[in-house]
Amino acid sequence: MNHSLINNKNSLFLLIFYFFAVFFGLYIFKDYGIHIEEKFHRLNGHFWLNYISQIFNFNELQFLTEKKISEIRDYTLSQVSYYNKYGSIFDISVAYIEIIFNLNNINQIYYYKHLLSYLIFLVGSFFFFKILELRYKNFYLNFLGLFLYITTPRVFGDSFLYKDTLFLSFFSITIYFFIKSIKKPNNTNLIFFCFFSAIAFSLKIFLILIPFLFFLILIIENFHNKNSYYYFKIFLFYSFFFIFFTFIIWPYLWSDPLKNFLNLFSSVRGDLINVRILFSNEYIQNRLLPTNYLFNWIFISSPLFQNFLFFIGLSYCGARIVRRFLSVKEKMIFNDFWRSDKEQIDFIIFLVFFSYISFFIFFNAPFYNGWRLVYFLNLFIVYFAIYSLEKLLIYQKRKKKLIFFPLFIPMIVIFILNNLNSLISYHPFQSIYFNNFLNKETINGYEGDYYGLSSKHFFEKILEIDKRDNIKIAVASHTPLQRGLEAFPTDMQERFSIIGQDYRNADYIYKNNISEVNIKLNNKYEIPQNFSKIYDFKIKKLLVYEIFKSNL
Amino acid sequence: MKIFFYKSLVVMFLFLLTFHFSFNYAYKKIGNIINDTFSKDKIESIKNKLRSEAKSAINKEVYINSKDAEIINKFLDKIKSDLKRNN
Repeated sequence: MNHSLINNKNSLFLLIFYFFAVFFGLYIFKDYGIHIEEKFHRLNGHFWLNYISQIFNFNELQFLTEKKISEIRDYTLSQVSYYNKYGSIFDISVAYIEIIFNLNNINQIYYYKHLLSYLIFLVGSFFFFKILELRYKNFYLNFLGLFLYITTPRVFGDSFLYKDTLFLSFFSITIYFFIKSIKKPNNTNLIFFCFFSAIAFSLKIFLILIPFLFFLILIIENFHNKNSYYYFKIFLFYSFFFIFFTFIIWPYLWSDPLKNFLNLFSSVRGDLINVRILFSNEYIQNRLLPTNYLFNWIFISSPLFQNFLFFIGLSYCGARIVRRFLSVKEKMIFNDFWRSDKEQIDFIIFLVFFSYISFFIFFNAPFYNGWRLVYFLNLFIVYFAIYSLEKLLIYQKRKKKLIFFPLFIPMIVIFILNNLNSLISYHPFQSIYFNNFLNKETINGYEGDYYGLSSKHFFEKILEIDKRDNIKIAVASHTPLQRGLEAFPTDMQERFSIIGQDYRNADYIYKNNISEVNIKLNNKYEIPQNFSKIYDFKIKKLLVYEIFKSNL
Repeated sequence: MKIFFYKSLVVMFLFLLTFHFSFNYAYKKIGNIINDTFSKDKIESIKNKLRSEAKSAINKEVYINSKDAEIINKFLDKIKSDLKRNN
């Protein structure tokens, strides 16, 4: 079912929704602080733009990027020449925009980057809606899915920060073309699939599972249709263009494609940070995480009803696939795992989700900062939540009894209001949302503001209470607080001196619960006795940060 | 062929599952114990403990009781005499 954006009244509704979503984004995008990795990404963009300009002899661009690179300084900043494997397509585009439009105001550059990230997120959400549209005929159900996808608090908050939701957006587009390529493997669908797979792969290398899963689905299709040559040809076409696009969009691969490509995988363990993280009130090594780490995080930081519906939907779909699997015979009239196009989509979504979860668990994926690295799982969470709602509607129709109907509409309204309430009450800190049903001790037993977004709020607070020209700030946290200063004009930045853990010379100390050491054993971030707490910033039960002032 | 293919996938999955809940599980558990026991943080906490003990010792009027002091004195004398004899 295709939605023409001109004729269909539902399309008009969708258009109005997106109009409001864009308007809303334009209204709030400057509220978000500068996160701690913005500087690295800006440097990353100019570094690779400089590299491209050297290769193609764009002398002026080379000169300008070199100037920009020399201006980006921070003693805590990682070297791009070492951490050179991070996908740069978004950073390069923004760096180019910065040069073309001669943007010199650093905080404006970051804010427009946030807006661009949010707009890409909306595009990704539209493709998620298209996935639901391929699966369900009920527009309202699909729209509810779209709404939940956008308003999942952590994902919405992160959508302005262009890190992990950027991958979610491109992943959603990739999955859409994955399904389209399976249903109708023509050149257009396959080319789009290859192109978006390549972009998503450059952002996070674990997308590499998708080509294997595509191959697996083709094999299953071939068991039924028995046309090996045809399916092999499709896979060869996909592989060729996937490699081709990956090479084109990722300058890192240009100097030595094969060696650098293999390096991506061989160095992944070494390049990822090795720290202790606060998880369930314990400081644990991020390379020795418990098996339940992901499930735990998803459960505590997603809306409860969404988790509940996801669990029901996943169990129902999983049980059906297991039943299909147990009844597989050498010769069958139907396909082994699905009886219809809709079931095929369910199978693909389930397979991708199941493969990723198994992959992360079996290979001890070293996560940190909650589950942000895998925010792309939100696609599956919402998909299976909608799946369970659809099953509920079908059950009701079959029984011809209005058992659930009196509950159904109020339930949906509560879901929507709950998400909206969370977005409003956490604004602009939705990226550190926790489930409201948890108690204070549980919530504060997990990493909070890992992106240092509260730094903007902190500096504003200090400016409010201290009018001096030189204010010394110490940091009792692993957060590189000085990077948050870029949210302010230069004259304001100059009023602050960030002095790390030199507490003796500080006027104020900033403290949050982000630490690379076990603060129960290590006193690195212990507040000296001559400081007293003057302010703490809480959102509901979550303590975001505290300010301590020197008594001397 | 088809059944063999599916069975192979299941066997592979079960192998990884068993590996995870046996070797991998033990590896993580032992790793966590080693990390907790010999970590920098643990050493730091021991150092802090020693510092605070030393501070409290300074503040006390008598830190070593007379019996212990007598034993330690005799012990040190013994070491001194042994060292002299071997020189």
